[in-house]
Amino acid sequence: MELELRNISVALSGKKILKSINLKVENGEFISLLGASGCGKSTLLKTIAGLINQDGGSVVLGGNIIDRTPAHKRRTVIVFQDLRLFPHMTVAENISFPLKMLGMDKNKRREEAINLLEKVRLEGYADKHVDKMSGGQIQRVALARALAAKPMVLLLDESFSSLDINLRKDMQELVLELQREYKITTILVTHDQEEALTMSDRIAFMHDGQIEQYDTPENIFKNPINTTVADYFSKGTYVHGKIINNKFISQLFSSNVDKENGEYKCLIRPSAIKINKFRNGEYTVEEKIYQGDSYLLKLNNTDSNLKLESIVPDFTTIIEGDRVNVELNGERLIFIPERQACS
Amino acid sequence: MKNFKSNKLLNIFLYISLFIISVPMVILLLWTFTGRWPWPNLLPKTYSLRAIKEIFAPHARIFQTLFSSMLLSLSVAILSVIIGIMTARALTLYDFAGKKLIAFLSIAPNLVPGTVFAMGIHIVFIHMLLSDTVLGVIIVHLVYTLPYSVSIMRDLTQSIGERLEMQAYVLGASPFKSFIYITLPLLVPGIKTSIGMAYIISSGQYFITLLIGGGKVKTFNMLMVPFIAKGDRALGSAYALIFMVSTLLILIITDRVTKKLPYQNDGRKYKWNWN
Amino acid sequence: MNKKTPYILIMPIVLLGVIFIFGVVNGIIQSFGYIPAFNLVNVTLSYYKEILSDPTFLDSLKVSLQISVISSVLAAILGIILTAALVYTGHTEGRVLQVIKLAIIIPHTIVALFSISILSQNGLLARVFYRSGLINTQRGFPLLLYTKNNLGIILGYIWKEVPFVAYFSLALMSGINNTLGEASENLGASKLKTFLYIILPLSMPAIRKAFLIILTFSFGAYDLPFLLGATVPKALPVQAHIEYIHPNLRHRPYTMAINGLILAVTWAMAGIYYLVTKKGRVKGDIHEEF
Repeated sequence: MELELRNISVALSGKKILKSINLKVENGEFISLLGASGCGKSTLLKTIAGLINQDGGSVVLGGNIIDRTPAHKRRTVIVFQDLRLFPHMTVAENISFPLKMLGMDKNKRREEAINLLEKVRLEGYADKHVDKMSGGQIQRVALARALAAKPMVLLLDESFSSLDINLRKDMQELVLELQREYKITTILVTHDQEEALTMSDRIAFMHDGQIEQYDTPENIFKNPINTTVADYFSKGTYVHGKIINNKFISQLFSSNVDKENGEYKCLIRPSAIKINKFRNGEYTVEEKIYQGDSYLLKLNNTDSNLKLESIVPDFTTIIEGDRVNVELNGERLIFIPERQACS
Repeated sequence: MKNFKSNKLLNIFLYISLFIISVPMVILLLWTFTGRWPWPNLLPKTYSLRAIKEIFAPHARIFQTLFSSMLLSLSVAILSVIIGIMTARALTLYDFAGKKLIAFLSIAPNLVPGTVFAMGIHIVFIHMLLSDTVLGVIIVHLVYTLPYSVSIMRDLTQSIGERLEMQAYVLGASPFKSFIYITLPLLVPGIKTSIGMAYIISSGQYFITLLIGGGKVKTFNMLMVPFIAKGDRALGSAYALIFMVSTLLILIITDRVTKKLPYQNDGRKYKWNWN
Repeated sequence: MNKKTPYILIMPIVLLGVIFIFGVVNGIIQSFGYIPAFNLVNVTLSYYKEILSDPTFLDSLKVSLQISVISSVLAAILGIILTAALVYTGHTEGRVLQVIKLAIIIPHTIVALFSISILSQNGLLARVFYRSGLINTQRGFPLLLYTKNNLGIILGYIWKEVPFVAYFSLALMSGINNTLGEASENLGASKLKTFLYIILPLSMPAIRKAFLIILTFSFGAYDLPFLLGATVPKALPVQAHIEYIHPNLRHRPYTMAINGLILAVTWAMAGIYYLVTKKGRVKGDIHEEF
């Protein structure tokens, strides 16, 4: 089902949490709501699910406005961050709870629950009690229970943030697998940009109650609309300048770029930098930090005091104190209009 | 999401309950200032300050009894909190011989009605010269306030745990100091509730004060009883009114005093945590 | 310091515990007829036997049981509804709760006064009935006080205990409603179904505890039956006290036997409570030792 949010605004305890949110998620699409804590992501999920009433705007599901539909009838299922499994029920009872609410009879419910347990790779756990299971197992039970509710929209509220890296990757794979199998429209709320980049068809970047940019992962990474979005994905150095007649001119360098005239900030990420060791190079290597497969070099321009960062492979011969020349890759430079530079 | 139909019913129930709770108090107020209230009037026929004047009359020494009552119950409350904190601390943070017994003892009075205990201990107290004394009354009151105090402080001590104290130790604070500066402020919500509960229980006691206090130690609550059993309803109501006002006063003061203390944490009593 | 600390900390409660146990044990010993101070040195069950075959005692027992069971069951049911009302209307703090707390502050002696003012044949309720034509004279209003049906006492206990049950269970029910209640609705359960399947079962630990407290308390309490009870039969604790102050000291073992039986019934109630709740005890209960 497609989900559309039209001008959704929500205020809680007198404070404006969501400010006129507009969003459209296609049927079967997997999108991420990405942003720092407190920007309103979880509030948005609860509004979609009907647990919070919006002050303005509408939620549209499959073409129908569902504002008046009570929460338990919306089929917009949330997997909460604290998972909220029912402690007084077994795993199978937890999973089949939504089926019970849909009126399914006992035997069929159990059959489906066991079926879902297989899908989340927890065969045999049907009659276990939830307080005796590990974090990763509980996660999967929560996922199975959400699927049992036959959701039109699946809403995942930072579901993986409490898991360690390996478990997290397993869960991400599992979720994507099931999402594709059942073709469920899914929204993942996360603050982890890597998670958003790897899992989503599109990313909605939220900041301070508004959606700053809604785009494919590649676009949002390569063409961030402002510095807030840009900085969330990767840090870099900003250089101010002007673009006149398709040429970016700044105090430090100039580059050809196909953009409209105006004031711009140029974002130089480590990936845009190529360095060569050179005795009289303009930049000094101030720090060399080991990162596993590579080194992070912190460079300082002795004249202009411009600081840059570069990533070099682990077999590099460059050491701290060396002087290097810096070459900028014009294609990887990011230009953000000055007017939208700050939000 | 509000389901308006069911909420309406619950709202009605709620307001009926509030009505049923408040109406008797309003009637109490009316009776206190009643001159005559004959059948079948729904409101007093004549009002009068007679009952109030009798209470304030110096020769009756009623206010002396009130203040000594309040002092007694306040002492019980404070002692209850202190013992509650100590016991809760021992039960939560330490392992020691007889721990289960102590844990059981701290709730056992709930299983022994006050009458049974009082009649059982009375002779013993007589021998110990504790009967008819304030100390004796304080002790028997404590027996019945401690289950609540210990329980409240246990929940709170458990949820606070030792983490912050340990942090204080490594920063150079002695165990005593870290308790005073770190733990105690965090216990304040429990202390407030504990004092309130203990005061209410102590001031509401009748039988055990009657028996152990003999005629000598009288609480204000006891003064009311003859008027309630029969006779002057206006006077009885006046006593009751003063009792309620005095109790509310103590609770409000306790609340204000604890609010002024630096730290206020949430102090949830039942911390639901299934992890 | 660390090894001795707990022992220092528990000294006060040990002291009080000893006094407490002493009182209970002394009473029990006396009930078996052993009171050297009165020259009674034969340990015997005869006092118990006599009491148990005494119709006065049995009537008192019946009265006490009726009062405590009826009032506690009704108070528990109404208390659950009140708690739910507070949680669902969002009044878990503030003015409404203050009024509820007010009822908890009021001692039973004042509750007796309320009962008399409102429920007596001369009371406010009777006058309202008279005014609205339901009765013609004071006598038309049913006897609720000082009478065998003990309705005045039962209503008095209910008046105080419903707020108590609500106050006791509120925090737990509210917490569960916020987390699991939300999840349940989200998974397709209506508010009613959520309450029946999720919220009520998980709130039971607090509700059960409150029920046990009010049950045992109303069975062994003195104030209300003393002030509002019938001349005959009296509630058990009142009967016990009458025997206690009897000038003939040989009545003392009878008193203690009555007390012993009060204890026995109270412990039986607690015992039944544990047996019944052990089966239904839910995994994931809040940590409770008892």
